[in-house]
Amino acid sequence: MVVVENTAKVHNLVVCRLCSCYPWAVLGLPPVWYKSAPYRSRSVIDPRGVLREFGLELAEDVEVRVWDSTAELRYLVLPERPEGTEWMSEEALGALVTRDSMVGVAKVSASTAGNAA
Amino acid sequence: MNGVHDMGGMHGMGPIVEDRNEPVFHQEWEGRIFAMNRAMGAWRKWNLDASRHSKEVIPPAEYLRMSYYERWVAGLVELIVQSGLATRAEIESGAPASESLKTVPALTADKAVALVEKGVPASRSVNVAARFQVGQRVRAQNMHPVGHTRLPRYARGKFGTIDRDHGVFVFPDTNAHFLGEKPQHVYSVRFGARELWGAQAREKDSVYIDMWDDYLEPL
Repeated sequence: MVVVENTAKVHNLVVCRLCSCYPWAVLGLPPVWYKSAPYRSRSVIDPRGVLREFGLELAEDVEVRVWDSTAELRYLVLPERPEGTEWMSEEALGALVTRDSMVGVAKVSASTAGNAA
Repeated sequence: MNGVHDMGGMHGMGPIVEDRNEPVFHQEWEGRIFAMNRAMGAWRKWNLDASRHSKEVIPPAEYLRMSYYERWVAGLVELIVQSGLATRAEIESGAPASESLKTVPALTADKAVALVEKGVPASRSVNVAARFQVGQRVRAQNMHPVGHTRLPRYARGKFGTIDRDHGVFVFPDTNAHFLGEKPQHVYSVRFGARELWGAQAREKDSVYIDMWDDYLEPL
């Protein structure tokens, strides 16, 4: 498995345009939207538009890297650490991380604790 | 094959629909076909690449109409019939033909968990020379094979840079058609978004695509 890191300057997004390649062993089976034609067709050509549909507006100067999983490698996004969490333990930070943030369609925010999606 | 499954870059597929409280399986039969797929695969009459190709050959209009697991059913039926494990008539009637052989299933319940946990690795620990080095500029082949391939239509003929070498893996284009594993290096290749999509794309953005050695040519 390949882990790609999101930072203030780089945003990674994972897609399988062919079908449904996804880190099943870690994240479970992919959600329907990940396997759907709209996501598969558009994330490679218009990642910013796709992210906007998920409610995520990226700043102009952020570099977007889309990972099209065409082989047996599986990609996982390491979300960017949200601001104001410097005091939090590894365990508390882990609780903030969502599935969507590990696919790259969402950021982690300090207030997402307990949100399973 | 230039099928509808290779849909990267297509327009008109509609909005992305999210279900915040999505169940793992929406219907009981979906879980059943998920399990059947593993259980039938355990006969080793086909491989993962052939299994993927079996869904890609569904005619485009049907493919787009079907749900994800409906495609699994269609693909699995084709594989079962082609490999001779059962006839179409047996699948449709749900009853074995009187002359069909009875045997112990390849996958029994006690072995199922181990199979799922172990998986079937596609990497190979054989010494095959890498044709390309990290940092090297390459061009994706402009080829349109009628069989299975993972080379995206949207990247064919485009220029990119080798970002990393993942090691040696089975080659799906031959493996899907039982023409050998042809193990070779797989790289992550970085393609600039403008190289792929033109001026409408942002200059800094990029798409990283896993590419087998045979998909690439040196500059």
